[in-house]
Order: sequence, then structure tokens, then C-alpha cells
Amino acid sequence: MTEPILEHQEVEPEAWLRHQARLVRRSLAIAIIIGVVGGLLIIAQARALATACHALVITTTHRQNILPLIVTIALLALLRGACAYLAEKQVVRAATEVKQQIISRLYRRLQLLLPAGVAGEDAGTLAEIVTSGVEGVESYLTRFLPHLVLAALLPLLILIVIVPLEWRAGLVLLFSAPFIPLLMVLIGKGAQRLNQQQWGELTRMAGHLLDLVQGLPDLKIFGAARREAAMVAEVSDQYRRSTMAVLRVAFLSALMLEFFATVGTALVAVITGFMLLSGKLALIDGLFILLLAPEFYLPLRTLGLSWHSRMNGTAAAARIVPLLLRPLPQQESGVLPPPNTPPGLCLENVTFRYGGERGGIRDISVKIPGASLTAIVGESGSGKSTLARVLLGLSAPEQGRVLVDGLDLNSFEQRRWRERLAWVAQRPFFSAASIRDNLLTAASAASDDELMTALDAAALADVVRRLPQGLDTMLGDRGAGLSGGELRRLALARLMLRNPLLVVLDEPTAGLDLENERLLLDTIERLAVGRTMIIISHSEEALRSCDHLVRLADGRLAAMTAQTGMAEVMA
Amino acid sequence: MKDLATLFQAMASRQWSWLVAGIVAGILVIAANVTLMAVSGWFIASMAVAGVTKVAFNYAVPAAAIRGLALIRTLGRYAERLVTHEAAFRMLADLRSWMFERLIPLAPAGLEGYAGGDLSGRLRADVDNMESLYLRIVAPIATGFAVILLAPCALALFSPAAGLALFAALFAAGVVLPLATRKMAAAPGERSVQLAGELRTVVTEGLQGAEELLLLGASAEQAHRVELLYAGIVKEQRRLGSINGIVIATVTATGGIALAALLAIGATELSPSGITGPELVMMLLYAAASFEGVAPLAAALQAVPASAATAGRLNELATAPHPVPESAANCVPEGHEIVFRDVCFSYGAGAEVLNNFSLTIRDGSRVALTGRSGRGKSSIVELLLRFRPYRGSITIGGAELRDIDSRAVASLITAVPQRPHLFNSSIRDNILLGAPDADSNRIREALGDSGLAGWVDGLPDGLDTAVGVAGSAVSGGEAKRIALARSLLHDSPIFLLDEPTEGLDGETERMVVERLQRRLAGKTVLLISHRPACLALAERVIRI
Repeated sequence: MTEPILEHQEVEPEAWLRHQARLVRRSLAIAIIIGVVGGLLIIAQARALATACHALVITTTHRQNILPLIVTIALLALLRGACAYLAEKQVVRAATEVKQQIISRLYRRLQLLLPAGVAGEDAGTLAEIVTSGVEGVESYLTRFLPHLVLAALLPLLILIVIVPLEWRAGLVLLFSAPFIPLLMVLIGKGAQRLNQQQWGELTRMAGHLLDLVQGLPDLKIFGAARREAAMVAEVSDQYRRSTMAVLRVAFLSALMLEFFATVGTALVAVITGFMLLSGKLALIDGLFILLLAPEFYLPLRTLGLSWHSRMNGTAAAARIVPLLLRPLPQQESGVLPPPNTPPGLCLENVTFRYGGERGGIRDISVKIPGASLTAIVGESGSGKSTLARVLLGLSAPEQGRVLVDGLDLNSFEQRRWRERLAWVAQRPFFSAASIRDNLLTAASAASDDELMTALDAAALADVVRRLPQGLDTMLGDRGAGLSGGELRRLALARLMLRNPLLVVLDEPTAGLDLENERLLLDTIERLAVGRTMIIISHSEEALRSCDHLVRLADGRLAAMTAQTGMAEVMA
Repeated sequence: MKDLATLFQAMASRQWSWLVAGIVAGILVIAANVTLMAVSGWFIASMAVAGVTKVAFNYAVPAAAIRGLALIRTLGRYAERLVTHEAAFRMLADLRSWMFERLIPLAPAGLEGYAGGDLSGRLRADVDNMESLYLRIVAPIATGFAVILLAPCALALFSPAAGLALFAALFAAGVVLPLATRKMAAAPGERSVQLAGELRTVVTEGLQGAEELLLLGASAEQAHRVELLYAGIVKEQRRLGSINGIVIATVTATGGIALAALLAIGATELSPSGITGPELVMMLLYAAASFEGVAPLAAALQAVPASAATAGRLNELATAPHPVPESAANCVPEGHEIVFRDVCFSYGAGAEVLNNFSLTIRDGSRVALTGRSGRGKSSIVELLLRFRPYRGSITIGGAELRDIDSRAVASLITAVPQRPHLFNSSIRDNILLGAPDADSNRIREALGDSGLAGWVDGLPDGLDTAVGVAGSAVSGGEAKRIALARSLLHDSPIFLLDEPTEGLDGETERMVVERLQRRLAGKTVLLISHRPACLALAERVIRI
């Protein structure tokens, strides 16, 4: 879908929301037309009621003569009901359509921003924006926007009816009306700032709770769980106080609105009353005006009440828009087909920092021949993982470039390049699904036999066979149910299903006993044949059979050696 | 419904006064509004009659009443909004900590069945949804019922028939129609709550694992899952929207039809001895205004099923059986000797990880376990922490572990778990978790002994450096050492160390082991490692 508005870097959240509304303008327009028809029906109903009262009270008509009026009132009521139903259906249809598009675009974009390390927020907060955040957009579309248009149209309609009957009452309405939007804007602006703060607090609170719950075992070890429970209460209480501060102001605008509406109605009642007393106005017109006066203010009051829908919507949009605008790490994918043989890699003066001082790499030049086994070593925080991410093309270097078989990494078609890669992270990702489903993410068409072969190669087949439910065993959150070493091997089995040309293993043997480590390293060596393999590791065992060794210190290249020089580097 | 009642009890038990104040304020505002409209109608009609008949009419009193009622209505509405929201947020805060406290005994074994996204969803979005329990359900139902009962009574003073008609109409609009549509909304409401939970899980999972999914080529598939799930939610939301439309429509229509009925009744009773003309107009406007009082009732009754589903999810979590329940025996250990006798253990219904495992760790001795992974070494640590149920016997100082109070266990045992969790805060805060009141000297000592001092000194922000979400800004090895430092700071007679030197280079490892030798003197230690340098810490190494 084309998004011309997104090409500008500065996009007001509200402008963006209106742009979204334009995508469903047909549904919204129909809803507004239905709303106007509903307004006409209200006028008709008021007229019928006033006529009936006039007939009964002033001209003392016999009650049988007003029967048609009674039937008319009942029929108009049914029609008004039908209008309300149709309008509601339309706005919900419009809002859901917009939300569907936003979720899809936002989620797909985050899938590209997160791996490149440029999403700017953690996954938990982003998930919150994708789910609750996008829902926040709904009330802007279903409540605020239609009410905004109706607040401009319906009072005008009523004014046109009232002025010919009693121009003084019309004048009161006309002059009290502009105060309402004026006050709304003034008060709304202040409340909006507060509201945005509050939204930030809400997402922070979500992250805080998830963090505490995931760390509950550690809290229990130190007997700190109860202490943190008090913190939960305190954070919630802070949230209450800040929210109430927002609401006190937000409700103030509603108070002002009601005040003006009530004073206006009272003035109209007084003017009409005296006109009636002087005999210059008939009850039919007087009552008609009195019945319509609250209806004149109603759309404005409704708009006032939906003002916080607007604030919720714009606050949500303020979180969504920057993510949709954040430039993707590699805007264009090249067209060249990536190599079909184990690629040789070359880094030229590459710098990448996460935006902070630590963990990045600076000015690194390294050559890794194709079909070799290379180890990257260095202290924690020396930039090993960053280097690996840059080599894989996950993070685009801020300076310098990455060459694959002598060509810039960006010149290859990225989708096909990724098909040739595999990465086993320090904490491999598993979803809360069965072992089979987790393996199938790598090769959706693989048969159970192929899965078992891969598991066997990772020395995990026996473990899985021993599980009562075998491949159907469910992995809990973060892969709970298997030991740390087993999960590592499961990740390895998964990558074998893909038959990649370039493999990066991040600390593959950490936490494994010697026997298992050897088993795994044998597997890795077998896997390394005909592949470019990079291992990030501390383990001397893991380095035993590598061809090259890259040593990093503090984000810089400290040494680069072929296998023969190993002893010196390790010392 | 039972879940809803339980949850409401937990939320309201400390906030009754706010809760009642909100409802009373709501009733007063509606009463002011209804009276205002009635007086205005009567005033207008009386003025018209006086205009026609030229009979004098004292307009000063009704005009003053209109002004007073208008003021009460306007200010009362503001006060009511503030009070009900204050009540709602207070109840919400209580609910949140109530939930968290119920999770404590469940972790970790009792929480593993819930994926991270779903769990946090239950804790945040679901708990927030319960905000609507009071604001959008309890308070509108209470005030709505008050209107249905009281408003017709006042009208019956003028015309019993009109009172009855109004009651019928209000009851139909406020109770019958919403209950009828509630049935329709029950299924889509429940489904949308359930789907929203699933969506949260899938989105959280997918974003946490975004890198690997990208490289596995499974990103598009995961995005498709998200879209498919959301399409399901949209379907339910549209269904709910239609039902909501029906409610609005029927309430609007009933209001108009009631007006027609009252007009018919009023017309028949209009007589010099019965209802006067101005009274008829007053009755009509009064009835029309009283419908505003029951309008929120429909939405409130309709929201019940979704809220009940939410409450059910929360209550399921809150009432889950504790994996290791506290015992009434409350045994007190004498000494720190740890004895495993014929201990059997398995994860859930899985294969046995420990089978008749027996081991004695004498008070003040240091024992290391080594051997292949998957043999249950880390499980032994978790059993000792009272995290998981076991068969057989584990005693500390002669007391059976499951009969020792969990707080006593926490002060007796310190552990570095296999995968420690770092909280999204500074290094200092994470270390201070072990001993909140430790001074800077003790912190420095702990840093030095866990091999962190040099690294921390090299950081621009030192101890105040943020570790990121779940320690994402530090490496696995650094996280392990931060966990080691905090356990050293905590200091207790028994130490359980699961791979404390993982991720350390040889030189640092030797230094840390040497420091630990001194630091752990006299402690009862259970160590798990396969690194020879680290195993040197133990007096006895056991292969399992």
C-alpha cells in the first residue's frame, strides 16, 4: 500500500490518524449521513410531541384526534433506532478495517527493525504497542471523528429550525455554542500532554510487571518477593495519581461544556417562557424550542465526552507513528543472487554501536575465507555478538562495509541471502509450542523422520524419544521443559534442517558438560564441512579444531591468527 | 459469575466507602437532571397557559429552582466522575498487588504453563480490564436499578397508570433488552478476550524471537499468524458492534414508544380533577429524562460476559495449586547438613529426571556435582530452593524441606541459578537485591570476589549502568557474575552455585575461584560445574 504521508519525517500523530480515516472514508461518510438523518428524525419527533401537547393543553382537542400523532411518535422512535443501529455498524466496520491494516504494517515493520538492533525499545514494550496501542486508535475513529462532524452539522440543523420561530432563542444558542469548542481546545491541549505522559507510564508499568514476574524465582531466592509486591502496589498507586491528574483536567472540559449547555438551555427556557406569557408565542412552538434546545447542545456535549477518545487515539498514534517512520536498516535489497558455495566474508573498517558506548564494534577489518571454521573470542562485552550480527547482515554497519565473496553484502537479494544463513543465539528462541512445531519453523515441510535425523545429529534424539509425548512435548515459556544444554542442541537440530551455507554459533557449548560438549563439537565439525562456520566461544575445547581465530577487545580487533598461532593468542 | 464475585471482593474489600460514594453521587445527579427537565416542562406549559388565560403566574419560584437544579447537575456530574474513577483506580491498585502476591508461591513451577506474553497480558491488560468492573458494570447497574425503581414511584404520585407504564418501559430498556442481547454477546465476548490473549502471546513471542525468525525464514509465517489471529478478533468485534448497535437502537426506540404511551395515558387522564395540562407536559419531559439514567445499564449488562471471562482467567491464575504448599508443621532446621534420601523428581508428567537420588552434604562442607546435562543437576538446586515438588526426603538440619517455611529457606539458602534473571534496572539495584541495605564497601567486596570490579570500573556509568530488559545490555557471562555478586552480598549459611564461572576466561575464572575459596569458608556449598578450575572449589566431586 502506498503511504505518501509517511515519507515526511515529521508527522503529527493526529494527521496520521486522519490519514488512516481517509482509507475508510466511505464507511465513515455513510455513518455521518445516517447520523444527520437521525437528527432530522429527532426534530420531527419533537414537533409531533409539541403539536400533541399544544392540542391537549391549549386547544383542548379531544384525545382521539391526537391518535395519529401518537402513532407518528412511536414510528419515528423505531426509525431513530434503526438509524442508531446502522451508524454503529458502519463505524465499527471502519475502525476494525483500519486497525487490521495498522497491526499488519506495524508488526511486519518491527520484525525488520528488531533484528537490526534499531527498534529503540524492548520487545515487551513493542508487543504492548502492537496490541493495546493499536486498540487505542479505535475510539478515535468510532467516537471522536464522527462526533466531530456531527457536532458541526446537527446544531446547525436545529438552529435553522428554531431561528424563524423565535430568533432571540436562536441567538442565545448561536452565541453560547462557540464557547464550547473554544474551551474544549484550551483545556484539551493541557490534558493531552498529561495523557501522553500517562500512556508512557502505562507501558512502563507493563514492562515492570513482566520483568518482576519473570524474575520471581530470583526474588524468592533472596526473600525479596513480598518486598516487590509492595512495589507493585506503589507503582499502581502512582499510576492512579497521575491518571487522576489527567482526568481532573479532562473532566473539567466536560464540566464547562455542561455548564454552557445548561445555562444556554435555561436562558432559552426563560426567553421562551416570557414570550409564551406575553402571548407572542404558541405552546406548540415554545415547547418545540424547549425540546430542541438540549438536542442543540447534545452533539457538542457528546463531542466533549469523546475528547478523551481523541487523546487516547493520538497518544497511541504518537507511539505507533515513530515506529512506522523509523528507517528500515536496509531500505533496498540488491538483485544479485547470493553465492551457492560457502561464502568468504570480509569486513572493511566496520563500525556499529547500539547508540551507547558499550557492546559495539569500532573500525574492524577482518577476512574470513569461505568454507572455514573461524572462532571469535574475547571478553564479554567486547563486541563478539555485534560482529556476528554485522557479518550476517542483521545489523547494517554505521561505517565501513561487509563484502561477501568480494561483493557488497547489500547487493544480494536479501531474502535469498538469509535462506543461506543460520544463527544459534546465546538464548535460542522457542515458542510455546510442541518440539515438532518449533523444529518446523525452520523447514515447514520436513517429515518426522527428517526431524528425528536432525535431532539425532544434535545428540537429542534419545532424549526426545524418552519423553512420554515425544515430538509432541510442549515447550513452556522460554523453552522450559528441557535443560539449557538440551535447548542449545534443539536449536542446532533446527538449523540442520535448513542446510545453511553460513552458520554462526553464539557460545554453543556454554553450560554443557565435557561429554556433551565433545558430542556437540563433533556434530559442529561434521556440520562445518562445506560451510563457512563462525563460533563465538570461550571454551578452549571449542577452539581446538578451528582454522582461524579472531580476538576482540573492547570493540576492536586485538588479534587475527591462523590455527598455528593459537597458543600465543590464547595465552 | 463466581470468578467475578471473587475478584470484586478482592478489589472492593478496602475501598467500600469510595465505591458507595460513587454510586450515591450517580443517583443524585440523575435525580437533579430528571427534576430539572420536569420543572422546565411544567414552567413552559404554565407560562403558555397563563399567556392564553391571562391568569397571573408566579414564575419566580420555578425559575430559581431551575437555576439551582442546573448547578447541582453540572457540579454533581463532575464530582461523580472524579469519585467513581478514584474508586476504580484504588480498586485496581489493590487488585494488582493481590494478583502479584498470589503469583509468588506459584513461581517458577506453577507459571511455566503460561507463555510470557500471556502471563503479562493477564497481569496488565486483563487487570486493567477489571477497571471496567466498577466503572462500567457495578456503578451503572446500581444507579440504573435505582432509577428503574424510584423514577416510576415519583410519577405514580400524579398518575399510577403512567408510573406503571414508565416502569414497564424502563425495565424493558434497562433490563429485559440488555439481558436478551447479553445472551447474543456472551460467546463473541468470551472469544474476543481469549483471542486477544493469544494475540498478545504470539506478538510477544514473535518480537522477542524476531532475529531468529528472520533468519529461519519464518518471519512472514509469524506475521501471517498475527494477521490471522487479528482477523478472528475483528470478526468478533464486528459481531459485538452489531449487538451494541441493537442495544442502542432498542433503547432509543423504547424511549420514544414510552413517550407515545405516556401521551396516550396522559390524554385520557387530562381533566380538571385529574392531571392538569402543565402536569402532562411535566410528566412527558420527566419520563424522557429518566431514560438517560438507564441508558448505561444496557452496556453494563452487556459487558458482564467479557468481564466474567477476564475474571475467570485471572482467578484461574490466582487459585492455581501451589507446586510446593506451605506446611503447617513449620519445622526449624538445626544445623545445615543437607541429606537427600531416595529423591525422585520429574518435570510435570515427563520422564523422571531424578530416580532415587541420595546424597549427604555435611554442615560446612563443599560438594560439587558434575556430569552430563539433562541428568537433573539444576533440578537438585531448584528442589533445594523449594521451587518444585519432590518424592522421597530432603532434609536440612534434620528438618524435612517441604515442612520448612519458605521464608526460612530464603534466609538459609543463597543461590546462583542456572539462568539468573536480571531486572531492568542498574547493576547496583540488581546486586542490592541480595542485601538492600549493604554499604558501598560491602558492594565493592562482592564485586571484587565475583570478578566484576575491573569491568564495572571501566563502565562510564559504573554501578549505575543499566542492564537492559532481562539483562539484554550485558553478556551472559556478565549476567552470571552480577548474579554471583548479589548472592555473595546476601550471604547465608548454605550456597547453591550452578555454573558460577560460566562465560569467564581462564584467568578470571582462576581469580574468582581463589576468592570464593576464602569467601565460602565454613559455608555449606553445593556446586554444579563441569569446569575443572571451578570444581577445585569443592572438597568432594560427585559425577551423576
